[in-house]
Amino acid sequence: MGFLTLQSLSKVYGELAAVRDVDLSVAKGEFVSLLGPSGCGKTTTLQMIAGLVEPTSGRITLDGRDITHEKPNRRGLGIVFQSYALFPHMTVAENVAFGLEMRKIAKAERDRRVAQMLGLVHLGAFAERYPRQLSGGQRQRVAIARALVIEPPVLLLDEPLSNLDAKLREEMQFELRRIQRSVGTTTIMVTHDQAEALSISDRVVVMEQGRMTQVDAPYKLYERPATAFISSFVGKMNRIEGVWQGGRAEVAGIALPSEPASLSDGQAVALSLRPEKILLAQAGQGVLDGVILARFFLGSYWLFTVETPVGAISVSVPNQGEEPPGEGGRVSLAWTPASLKVDALVGAAA
Amino acid sequence: MSATSQSATSHSLGPPAARANPTPWLLVGPGSLFFLGLVVLPLVLTVILSFHVYDHTTGIKNEFTLAHYIAVFSDDYYLGTFWRTLRLAFLTTLICAVIGAPEAYILSRMRDPWRSVFLLVIIGPLLVSVVVRAFGWSMLLGSTGLVNQTLQALGLGTVKLLYTETAIVIALVHVMLPFMVIPVWTALQKLDPMVEAAALTLGASHFTALRRVVMPQVSLGMLSGSLIVFGLSASAFAIPGLLGGRRLKMAATLVYDEYMHELNWPLGAAIAIIVLAANLAIMLAYNRMVEARARRTLG
Repeated sequence: MGFLTLQSLSKVYGELAAVRDVDLSVAKGEFVSLLGPSGCGKTTTLQMIAGLVEPTSGRITLDGRDITHEKPNRRGLGIVFQSYALFPHMTVAENVAFGLEMRKIAKAERDRRVAQMLGLVHLGAFAERYPRQLSGGQRQRVAIARALVIEPPVLLLDEPLSNLDAKLREEMQFELRRIQRSVGTTTIMVTHDQAEALSISDRVVVMEQGRMTQVDAPYKLYERPATAFISSFVGKMNRIEGVWQGGRAEVAGIALPSEPASLSDGQAVALSLRPEKILLAQAGQGVLDGVILARFFLGSYWLFTVETPVGAISVSVPNQGEEPPGEGGRVSLAWTPASLKVDALVGAAA
Repeated sequence: MSATSQSATSHSLGPPAARANPTPWLLVGPGSLFFLGLVVLPLVLTVILSFHVYDHTTGIKNEFTLAHYIAVFSDDYYLGTFWRTLRLAFLTTLICAVIGAPEAYILSRMRDPWRSVFLLVIIGPLLVSVVVRAFGWSMLLGSTGLVNQTLQALGLGTVKLLYTETAIVIALVHVMLPFMVIPVWTALQKLDPMVEAAALTLGASHFTALRRVVMPQVSLGMLSGSLIVFGLSASAFAIPGLLGGRRLKMAATLVYDEYMHELNWPLGAAIAIIVLAANLAIMLAYNRMVEARARRTLG
């Protein structure tokens, strides 16, 4: 049994179920992300764990103890809010010390732990500043320090990086992971950013319309998305609909090399192919010929849209220091058969 | 053509001289004239009047004296009235803060249909004339009023309320409360609701969260609210006039008496100027405090 478990947790607002039957077991020290578009119920789930929202039904246990109906100030969890929710009238040190003060920890011990925690988040020199005098990234680190200094059994992060600009966000992802590793706190993060979820989590929980649809390690989630929604939400994906015929996938009469599948003839299938798994070959030398419709340069890679007999296909090619063919160029696409995933289209016949 | 050359030179030589755009002056003009004519001019006339000699038989003379100011500062009756004015204004401010701040907090936590309804309930009384409300209170608080009837029915005997300081404070609090609730409410609106939640999750009780996190952030609203309430209470006229009766005077009613009953306009003017100066001094000192605090905590 996990350290933190959610058992058929639901929250219903009037007619609308914000969260439906969420079951999740998180191991001690694990970093789990709740990923989904806005309105999928991930924040509500986090707030139920925090005790800020009362669940309609279900159970939450922490280290074997039922905390479903415990008040937020008795749970002792560390929470980093999306807005950071720092106390604007207190200095950085006072903000961080607040939780310790509430625990009636002596001043000397308090000061020592605050200094140690500010050191961990590299804010030692900012102890006497007010939140308004800090940058977004610094505020965010104060919020993390404030949540961690009470040594919570679980750290909850609500979109912690969404208010930062792109470059800072990337830096803070690694920073967050470094801090979490060094403290070893079980962490649950809510995010709508798939790159963020993939890069720092041990496991990712995907939520759609209040339900959990997949729980997997980031790599598995990326390689084997359980639903069409996940495949398009996590990374880029070419999706082609075709038919399973004679042990092969066929689209518009063209056989495409794919992973093996045990399906009956005539079964409608959805084929998924990641853009970066496709190689750009000279015309006539690949599996599928096409014409380049559009080409974008993105620094570390090139992104193409190639018009083929089976439809427009996105292809991304790493920048190797050589300029690839431009728009209107004739190319051929190739991939290893295992890269093309085959899923039966439920409820559809050819 | 000249405009372009001018802008070019001004660009290179820094800001242009006085011959700038007349629009700001035109925009400021009407307001300034209004203020000069209706506030500054009467005030200057009142100051001049307060130094005129007054004779009971011949009236105001064209000679100047400090006698009125000396009379006010050496008479216990006037000093007592000033002291009462300060005391009641301060008490009213305190009670308004104690009632108004929680009221505003509750209001900010209400959901929408109710919030609009109660906001109207709070602001509604402002639509009724102070005189009407003062008469309302005198009917309630009178010796045969509803309050005393209730007390009698409960077997507690009657209490003299009307024409006491208590009556004045009760009515002043009633009139002034919106001026406290609204600034505090505005301050609460600016508060991130998650800040209170953050305090809770860090182990604070609801009360501690309010005291340590919410209160300091709305204190600015409370301080500006008390500034308004204090100023208006210290210069209140209708309420002390109607609920304080003939004997219980406050500063504004005292001025009225000097003008309308004693006909000693210079003395009345002197009292008015002293009240104005005292009020101004208190409010400026208070405002200093408010601003210092704002700079320190909220930037």
